Amino acid sequence: MKKKGFVQMAAALLTVALISAGCQNADKDTGAKEGKSSQTVTFDFWAAPNPTQQAFWKSMADEYMKDHPNVKIKVSPMPESPSSEAGIQSAIASGHAPAVSENISRGFAAQLAASRAIVPLDELKGFDELIEQRNMKTTISSWEFADQHQYVLPIYSNAMLFGWRMDILKELGYQEPPKTYSEVMEVGQKLKEKYPDKFLWARADLVKPTWWARWFDFFMLYNAASDGNNFIKGNQLVVDDQAGVKTLQFFKELQKNDLLLTREATDPFENATSIMVDLGPWTFPYWAEKFPEMKFQQNYALSLPPVPDDVDPSKAKTFADTKGLVIYASATKEQQQAAFDFIRWVYSDVKHDLDWFKQTNLPPARDDLSINEAFVSYLEENPQLKQYAENIPNAIPPVDNEKTVEIQELIGKEALTPVIKGQKTPEKAWEDMKKAIDGVLK
Amino acid sequence: MNKTTARLGWLLASPYLIYSFIFFLFPLIWALYLAFTNWNLIAPDYETVGLQNFIEAFFSQSVRAAFWTTYKFMLMFVPIVVAGALFLALIIHSLPRLKGLFSVGYFLPYLASGVASAIVVKGVLSYNSPLNIFFRNHLGMDINWLDSPILAPLMIALMMAWKFVGYYALLFLSGLESIPKEIYEAAEMDGAVGWKRFWYVTIPMLYPSFYTVTILAVGLMFGIFTEPYVLTGGGPDYSTHTWQLEIYNQAFEKLNAGYGTAVAIINSIVTFASILVFRKILEKWGAKHGWE
Repeated sequence: MKKKGFVQMAAALLTVALISAGCQNADKDTGAKEGKSSQTVTFDFWAAPNPTQQAFWKSMADEYMKDHPNVKIKVSPMPESPSSEAGIQSAIASGHAPAVSENISRGFAAQLAASRAIVPLDELKGFDELIEQRNMKTTISSWEFADQHQYVLPIYSNAMLFGWRMDILKELGYQEPPKTYSEVMEVGQKLKEKYPDKFLWARADLVKPTWWARWFDFFMLYNAASDGNNFIKGNQLVVDDQAGVKTLQFFKELQKNDLLLTREATDPFENATSIMVDLGPWTFPYWAEKFPEMKFQQNYALSLPPVPDDVDPSKAKTFADTKGLVIYASATKEQQQAAFDFIRWVYSDVKHDLDWFKQTNLPPARDDLSINEAFVSYLEENPQLKQYAENIPNAIPPVDNEKTVEIQELIGKEALTPVIKGQKTPEKAWEDMKKAIDGVLK
Repeated sequence: MNKTTARLGWLLASPYLIYSFIFFLFPLIWALYLAFTNWNLIAPDYETVGLQNFIEAFFSQSVRAAFWTTYKFMLMFVPIVVAGALFLALIIHSLPRLKGLFSVGYFLPYLASGVASAIVVKGVLSYNSPLNIFFRNHLGMDINWLDSPILAPLMIALMMAWKFVGYYALLFLSGLESIPKEIYEAAEMDGAVGWKRFWYVTIPMLYPSFYTVTILAVGLMFGIFTEPYVLTGGGPDYSTHTWQLEIYNQAFEKLNAGYGTAVAIINSIVTFASILVFRKILEKWGAKHGWE
């Protein structure tokens, strides 16, 4: 009796599971069939979980659908459970990925591309026209993946700059930020003489294992020292040893002279606890709200990262904090092309990029951002953004390796943190890091 | 039991059974399978790798760190939270009125978001916080709270103790309320008053509460994520690296879902074994005081 009851129950559970699984597939089929029978292509667009970006894509989709009644675009924020990358991973695993999404970094795109979860955009009809129309040939050239394909269309590119407290620099006798390592050390020395409690750079992440933090410390300075040398090509470590050791040596000198604050501090640059900060344009709306006294060229200035003394500062490169659009392999061919046509339409009009820039403060990834007339008046009204716009061609995107997380963890663990803590010499740290990364790349 | 009653029983139990099947049993079976693969959840194909994930985890520095960190947290957190909760419960118990109000007040931190609490603590411990400025200016002490392998876990343990002490105090309070007055009267007649009464009567009589609170606190240590994620990222030198951080990093940052699942399974086994050991110790202590 008991056994029979259990078997009946198990059968019931199995039926429920099968029915729910069946319903799921049925929904999917119906959607696809509907799309075909009525000649309407429907696809999902996941926008970044940021209200301004969502609003931009929603307005673009609404405008596009007015002129293209056979296309239905459902714009929604990408889930962040617990991160947007994890949300996308879960969506792909459960078969609920959108046709297209933004907010994809190059490192994550490399992971997706290695898993064949996204499609090469350069194989879609109209890719070359898009690049030409949007004037982004130079910008996108550094985005090519090791397999010579383009998987991501960069939307914005923040050429990361350093902010300097000009009010304090002026007190120390300087009219512009230092450009070379020696100049920085000299400023540091004068700072400590006048203000022993202040620091040059306050950055707690320098001694934290957080992998992405390396973009905003190590890579900014390494790219400047190495003329934007590729860190990894394909599965090969192709680092510039001399530049790498000099970068680490610079961190060592900063720490030795008590110029680094590697502890958590609340708004240290704004409160003038430190006089230098790695700065992206997303900070300006925050300052406008919380620190209205922060005025460009009055109490702060922007500059490219400092370089070793034997490098020309005017040719310095920096790190590009940049994200873009990808199209997912799980979408139908029809949806992929429809999604790409929508993207082409968005970027066919420079006005859309201007709207984006105004709404999000994120510089569109275009070669002509600082010279195109459409942006001139906006950049004149916001001069602090002009330097970001001018440096887009000098900004190097993250490495395109699927092991980006492991690699950047090792940069911190084997090189940066031990050098700052005085546990290794820059030379040994660099060699240990290379050895460890080689192990991961094998 | 007749057939109709049996069917009714199954029918009434079915919502829970279906829920458990979908959300517990099926994911568990799936996880057991996933742990033996190298799947990242997004690639169209993957391979079964036998015990490789478990062997790698066994030799991994970060997994070993997570293992030891958990016990380090336990050593700090469990005594603090148990003693703190008991102390709080005794104070509330002794109040002539407004017991409910105070109980709810101390319970509130438990309801606070972990992320929000961690951000507040980060601000309090930051270099330029009023607390640190006071320490530097008046006591000549410059304390690096979150970059010391001893202080960083201690700060996290204290923060968690603050969050959970009110909740556990409620469990002790219910234990205190349930001790019959007659026992105290009898003890008093036998000369047990003051400290003796507390030590030889109250504490043994609170055994069920001690048992519950200790097991809950020990179990909690295997699930720490938010606090180290926000405050230290697992550093310095893995001193606050927990099981959940390791699982999250592997499964969602590095997309090693198969390996991450293997670590999660090892975590479950270690949790189960540790709780079993603590149960045995507590039961032995209970038996000594007549709790069989």
